[in-house]
Amino acid sequence: MGSNRHRVRQKAGLESVVSICILAILFLIGLGVFVKQSDYDMSRFGIDTASIELSSQQSGLIREKKPDLVSLRPAGFKTLSEAEIYNPENLYEKINGKAPLYLESSFVELFTQRFVNNEDENLWMELFVYDMATTRNAFSVYSVQKRDEVELLPSMQFAYKTSNGLYFVHGKYYVELVGSAESAELLQAMGQVVDKISSTLPADKDAKIDKLALFPEEDLVLGSTKLYLANAFGFGGLTDTFIARYKLGDEIITAFLSKKDSAAEAITVFENYYKFLLDNGGKELPTTNPKIRFVDFYGTLEIVSVAGPFVFGIHEAENPQLAAEVQKRLINKLFESTKTLQND
Amino acid sequence: MTEQRNYDLGRREFLSRLSKTGIAIAGCGVAAYLLYDPKGPRPGVKAEDLVTLADFSVPQKDGQTISIVQGPDRVKTVDKAIELLGGIERFVKKGETVAIKPNVAFASPPMLGATAHPELVAEVVRLCYKAGAKHVIVTDNPINDPASCFTLSGIGRAVSQAGAKVVLPKDHLFKHTTLAGGKLIKNWPIFFEPFKEIDKLIGIAPLKHHHRAGASMTMKNWYGLLGGRRNVFHQDINTIIAELAIMVKPTLVILDATYVMMTNGPTGGSVSDLKQANTLIASTDCVAADSYGCSLLELTVSDLPYLAKAEKAGAGTTDYQSLKPKLAVIQESQR
Repeated sequence: MGSNRHRVRQKAGLESVVSICILAILFLIGLGVFVKQSDYDMSRFGIDTASIELSSQQSGLIREKKPDLVSLRPAGFKTLSEAEIYNPENLYEKINGKAPLYLESSFVELFTQRFVNNEDENLWMELFVYDMATTRNAFSVYSVQKRDEVELLPSMQFAYKTSNGLYFVHGKYYVELVGSAESAELLQAMGQVVDKISSTLPADKDAKIDKLALFPEEDLVLGSTKLYLANAFGFGGLTDTFIARYKLGDEIITAFLSKKDSAAEAITVFENYYKFLLDNGGKELPTTNPKIRFVDFYGTLEIVSVAGPFVFGIHEAENPQLAAEVQKRLINKLFESTKTLQND
Repeated sequence: MTEQRNYDLGRREFLSRLSKTGIAIAGCGVAAYLLYDPKGPRPGVKAEDLVTLADFSVPQKDGQTISIVQGPDRVKTVDKAIELLGGIERFVKKGETVAIKPNVAFASPPMLGATAHPELVAEVVRLCYKAGAKHVIVTDNPINDPASCFTLSGIGRAVSQAGAKVVLPKDHLFKHTTLAGGKLIKNWPIFFEPFKEIDKLIGIAPLKHHHRAGASMTMKNWYGLLGGRRNVFHQDINTIIAELAIMVKPTLVILDATYVMMTNGPTGGSVSDLKQANTLIASTDCVAADSYGCSLLELTVSDLPYLAKAEKAGAGTTDYQSLKPKLAVIQESQR
C-alpha cells in the first residue's frame, strides 16, 4: 500500500516535470515567433518597399541621431544643410558605388555636414567624418584613396591637402573636407575645421600602425604607404597587406608586406600568391632559396618571399637590380625589427 | 471510486493531450520550416499593371552613329558632335517633348566631375528648343537628396535658365517594370512617369571611374531610373548595367570626357582625381560610346564585362571603329 502510494507520488512528480518541460517548449516557441516577427523585413514578403522607402532615400538622412558637427563651423561660414548620418545599411545613398570600399573595411557610421561662406554662396564645403572603428581601418580607406602629388600635412600622422580639399585620419575616423572650388579662403576655413576636430572630437589620434615601422626608411617616398585589407594586387588571399614605394634614382620600386597569424599560414599564402602569379601569365625565374620566388610578370619582376609569419616582397619592378636592393633592405629591416624572424 | 478513476484518468488524459498538442505544434513548426518560402509572395503588382519604357531611338544612319570631338569647351564640342551626327533636327522634331537625363547622382559641385556639367546640359536644352521642341524636361533620381543634387551640381539653375523644367522624383512617379528576358529587372520600380508622355530621350553622363563597376558612363547613367533598394544590384553590377542598356532605348547619349575622373569614383572628392581629356562623344549607340570612353580611363573593353554583355544582348556594338566615328577637333583658339 505504502509502495503504491509512493509509486503514485513518483508518477505525479514525473508528470509534473514533463508538463513543465512541454510548457517551457511552448513558451520558447512562442518567444521565437515573437522575436522573429518583430524583425519584419517587408521586402522579403514582396511588399512594395520602393515607394515606402523612397522618401527616406530622397532625404538620405537618419534623423534619430545627430553629432554636433555644427560646432565645427569655421568663422565666416554658416551651415548649408542639416547634418546627415549614414550607417552600413544606407551608406550607398551617400556615396553609391564607393560604399563597398568602406563596408569591406568595417565601416561603422558616416557623419556629414555642409558649410557655406556667408558672403559667397559658391564657396561651400562638405565635411565627411567616417567612423571606421579602428585607426588601422581608417588608415586603410585613407591610404587606398590617397591622391598622388598632394601636399602632405606634417602636423598630423596621416594627412594631405589638394587644391580643393583636406583628407586625414583622426584616430578611428577618416575625415574628408571637400570644397566646391579651388579657393585659398576655403582651404583656410577647412584648416579651422581640422583644428576644431583635433581638439573636440575624442580619438586616439596618436595611435600607431606598428607594421609601417617594418618598412626601411631609406629612399621611402613620404606618404606612399598603403594598407589593403583585402585583395591586394588582385589576389584574394593577400589580406592585410601594407605597401610602400621607394624612389631610387628615377625608378619607383613597390615593396609589400603582410603578417599572417602563423608561419604555416604565411607559407600557404606565399605558395598561393606565387601560383596566382603563374596562373595569370607570370613566368617562373630560377631561385635557389625555397623561401624566395622570382616571377617575370609581363616584363616586370615580382619577388615573393616568406619568413616567419611574414609574406613580403617586391611588386612589378621594372629594374631587377633595384628591386633586389629594396628586397634586401626589407629583409634586413624585418630581421632588425622582429624577434620572430631572428628565431625562424 | 468512479470519481477517483475519473480524476486519475483526467490528469493522465490532460498530460496525454498536452503531449499530443505539443507534438502537433512541433510538427506544425517543422512543416512550416520545410514549407517556408524565403522569397514570400510576389509583389502585388499584376502583370497587366507593369509598364514598359518606350523606344525613343531614331533610325540609324550609316556613318552617323558616333562622333568624337576634341576641345576644352563643352558647349562647342557638344554642338559639333551633334552636328556631325546630322544636326539636332535629326533627333528632335518641332513640337516634340524631350526628356534629358543627366547624371545628377550626387550633391556635389560641378568642378569635381561627379555629375554632368551644368553648361553642357543647358546647351543641350537650348539645342532642343532650337530644333522646335515644345517642352524640355530634365530629370534624374539621384543617390543623394534630389533637391540638393540639382542645386549644388548647378544643373537645376542652368537648365531652368535655358527654359527646361526640372522634375524631381516623387513616389507616384515610379511604376513597376519587367525586362523581357531580364535576370534582375523583374517587377522592379523604375522612375517612369516623366518618360511616359515624351517623344525623345537624351542621356548625358560624365566619364568617371567607378569603384564597383570599373567605369560609369552612358549605360551606367540609366541606373538613375531605378527605384527601390537599387543598391542590391551592386552585387551583380555588370548584369544590371547591361540590362539597363537593353531596357532604355534613348534617342541620343552624350559622354563628357572634357575632364575624366580617373580615380576615387564615382564620387571623387578632389580635383586631383580628374584628368583633362578634352573629349566629348555623342552617339545613338550607348555601347559604342562607352567602349570608346573606357579607353580614356586607360581601360579596355574586356575590363568592363557589362560592355560585352550588352553587345551580346543586342544593345549596341563594342567595335565602335566599325561605325566609322565622325571626328573633329575644336582648337582652344576657336573658343
